[in-house]
Amino acid sequence: MTEARVATTFQSPFDVPTPSGAEGWEEMYPYYLLFDPERREAEEHRFWFYNGMHFPEPMPAFDMITAESCYLSIGLYQGRVFQIPTVLGIEHRVVNGYVYITSNEVSDPDEIAQRLEVFLPRIGFYYENWDMLVGRWQAAVDKAIEELTALEVPHLPVLEDEQELLHDHKLGSNFRLMTAYDRCIGLYNELNQLHFELLLLAYGAYLTFFQFCQQAFPDMGTQVIAQMVAGYDTTMFRPDDELKALAASALELGVDGAFAQGRTPADVLAELEGSDAGRGWIADLESRKHPWFFMSTGDGFYHHHRAWVDDLRLPFTAITGYIAQIRAGTSLDRPKDKLLAERDRIAAEYSQLLPTPEERTSFDEMLGLCRHVFPHAEGHKFFIEHWGTSLFFNKMREIGAVMSENGFFESADDVFYLNIHEVHEALSDLGLAWSGGATARGAVYWPPRVKRRREILARLAEWTPPPALGVVPEVINDPTVQLLWGVTADRLRAWANQTEDEGVHGYAASPGVVEGVARVVRDVNEIGAVQQGEVLVCPVTAPSWGPVFPKIAAAVSDIGGMMSHAAIVAREYGLPAVVGTGHATKMIKTGDRVRVDGDHGTVTILS
Amino acid sequence: MADTRYAIPFDELRLDQVELVGGKCANLGELTQAGFPVPPGFAVTTAAHDREDIGTAVEAAYAALGHRVGRTDPPVAVRSSAIAEDMPDASFAGVQDTYLWICGLDAVLDGIRRCWASFHNPEAVAYREAHGITRGGMSVAVQTMVDARVAGVMFTLNPVSGDPSSIAIDASYGLGITVVGGEVTPDSFLVSKVTREIVRRQIGAKEIEVVADPAAATTVTRDVPEELRAQPSLTDEEIGRLAELGRRVETHYGRHQDLEWAIDRHGDELFLLQSRPETVWSRKARAQPVTGDAMAMITAAMTRGAVKPKQ
Repeated sequence: MTEARVATTFQSPFDVPTPSGAEGWEEMYPYYLLFDPERREAEEHRFWFYNGMHFPEPMPAFDMITAESCYLSIGLYQGRVFQIPTVLGIEHRVVNGYVYITSNEVSDPDEIAQRLEVFLPRIGFYYENWDMLVGRWQAAVDKAIEELTALEVPHLPVLEDEQELLHDHKLGSNFRLMTAYDRCIGLYNELNQLHFELLLLAYGAYLTFFQFCQQAFPDMGTQVIAQMVAGYDTTMFRPDDELKALAASALELGVDGAFAQGRTPADVLAELEGSDAGRGWIADLESRKHPWFFMSTGDGFYHHHRAWVDDLRLPFTAITGYIAQIRAGTSLDRPKDKLLAERDRIAAEYSQLLPTPEERTSFDEMLGLCRHVFPHAEGHKFFIEHWGTSLFFNKMREIGAVMSENGFFESADDVFYLNIHEVHEALSDLGLAWSGGATARGAVYWPPRVKRRREILARLAEWTPPPALGVVPEVINDPTVQLLWGVTADRLRAWANQTEDEGVHGYAASPGVVEGVARVVRDVNEIGAVQQGEVLVCPVTAPSWGPVFPKIAAAVSDIGGMMSHAAIVAREYGLPAVVGTGHATKMIKTGDRVRVDGDHGTVTILS
Repeated sequence: MADTRYAIPFDELRLDQVELVGGKCANLGELTQAGFPVPPGFAVTTAAHDREDIGTAVEAAYAALGHRVGRTDPPVAVRSSAIAEDMPDASFAGVQDTYLWICGLDAVLDGIRRCWASFHNPEAVAYREAHGITRGGMSVAVQTMVDARVAGVMFTLNPVSGDPSSIAIDASYGLGITVVGGEVTPDSFLVSKVTREIVRRQIGAKEIEVVADPAAATTVTRDVPEELRAQPSLTDEEIGRLAELGRRVETHYGRHQDLEWAIDRHGDELFLLQSRPETVWSRKARAQPVTGDAMAMITAAMTRGAVKPKQ
């Protein structure tokens, strides 16, 4: 493929108009996340892309911490711990409520060489001690989750408890409330640091293997490279496996009749409570919930994506679907053994095709390292984004409930319309008023602001963020950006030049060609509508979308790269997938007949 | 004792008989004996080169060929097979002559003599000089024609990128001469040897085809009907069969091959018309990926500028 080296310019971040009705959106975010007019010249000549893969909705003020905490941690490891030679870290900004990011890259060869001196021994330590460090990592995650689970959020009593204050010598409730908040934020940041500790190294190994393959086999599809590395780790699929087991259990106990499309979980549970067998199933549900139902219905970045433990709609819809499939005689097993055998055959044959023994040795060694470290990249999500993050948001709800009791909010969830610094201020306000026998200003200050912010976010949700802002650089060096978001300079030029009649193009993420009827699903709670054999067309998928994959014929997403969730799961199920199309959900309508070509990354609308 | 026969059937030939029958015929003999679907034929040996007394030997060999394929005066292709041709270091592709759909003994003898004459034409002399080939002598291959519905060439690597895991197939309607001679823009397919998937397909214009005119015992060039031009000339199943054939021939020789093939109009049978070592990438100093231990490779990957846009 030949391509002229032309700089492509997207809209300046300073020229993006505010959607009507969303005026003043800037006020809900910290000053340091807004584009700064005083640095306009520098900022608008940089390249910013919309991180719709992780943040597909406008950010409620508090939820912005999910981005902030991630970029605190990525930069920490990229720049200050491992000193990746070509990357300092990632910056983020908010535009009309949406998250845009950019990489701070290093291009000076001398500086790159200097950074390498630190980089190699540090990552060497990790790769050499990988299994021990994964164990250390898991212990740290377990400890943080345990502390978060046990964290006490005190209410503000009229009178402090005699035992607690006089005899146990505890801190006052106002202080303990503020400490609980600080600890909550601290533990969330700790989990995010852990999130990136091993992940970047897994990507680094993968990228190296990826480059080797592209040089040795220029025609090799990127999905084939991913397929050779895939570990088919069980953690990510475990919650889904529990749902399959519960479906089987419902059939065994003869209570499957309680499950039907359109029934709410409350209806189903009420019916099950009425029989011994039904109560048996409920006991089975309870035993399987912990911790696997801490799966978020989203990707763990928004407070309103509740975990399954708090919102049973998604798991119950999935169980109902699995029951129907078992009744119809469809196997629910993922063909893991078959996939692993095929993975090994492919890798062995490519290795044999290499012309020199040195290349075969390097290929085998790098693939071995990738397979050793990559299962972590697949499996970490459950602990951080799902379990840990769901606990974090629930703890914040407890804090919101205390503020609500004291007149700050109409409901506990209103706390998510204050940013992290405002919550701190509001708790000072509340603590002072409580101890001073006064009326907190927050009680009159926050309710109208929360109401206004909800309106603003509703307007912003109707707005479509452009895929990128600023100027596309000639070279994108940050490995994470390419692997995770599928952003390369090529792809960006394609985005910039894409017109509606050119069809839908993206990453060939999982091989195969399939024709079928499209089902456009924008929200995970709509997956119940997906019919057997349809082609899923979605903005981005998260692990909680797992239950839809056994049903579908192919997957297409707007956002995502080779290592995005839709790509990994599609490969696991052996379905064709095209990800990172930019706009499939806008071009394709439910009911369209489409051909998904997972070998070439194209989706054709047939009728 | 040296073989002094003038005509030898393919199924008696082996690769090591290049001196006697030239590179093309030696390869065809090797492939025939290895069980590949090569249309039957015979070699007019270098011992016969420029001799007058070949009539009896060729008549016998041509009659035996007719007996074998079940028709009198079977249509054949008559093609040169020089000693240094179709060998690993030089292909001679297209330099020497090919005569298609030749029927009858007199026409075959005429074709053989025209091939001999081509040995002395300026292009062939210049090619031999350019490649430092001093060995003399020419053999001629006489091979049964396949009445091709579709035909073309195949490389057991990607001739553009050098990727050794790919098989590249060019295909067009009718006899393969339009593809070999560059008279049409063929369909182009790229198949992975490992995943067996068709990783790329481009549909060519395929405006004309060369087909047999049995009545006149010759070939004619005609327009391909409009509706067929936009369609792929091969089905996915046929592409799969072709790629499998390419893999097997490559495995047999242990090196990348450049093949000509045809699919018969009657019965869809696939034939291998010739195979020779691929000569361009085999001799090129290829850009080898960085090798070494994991840390050396990571260093290379992390410092070269991880992801550059393709130029």
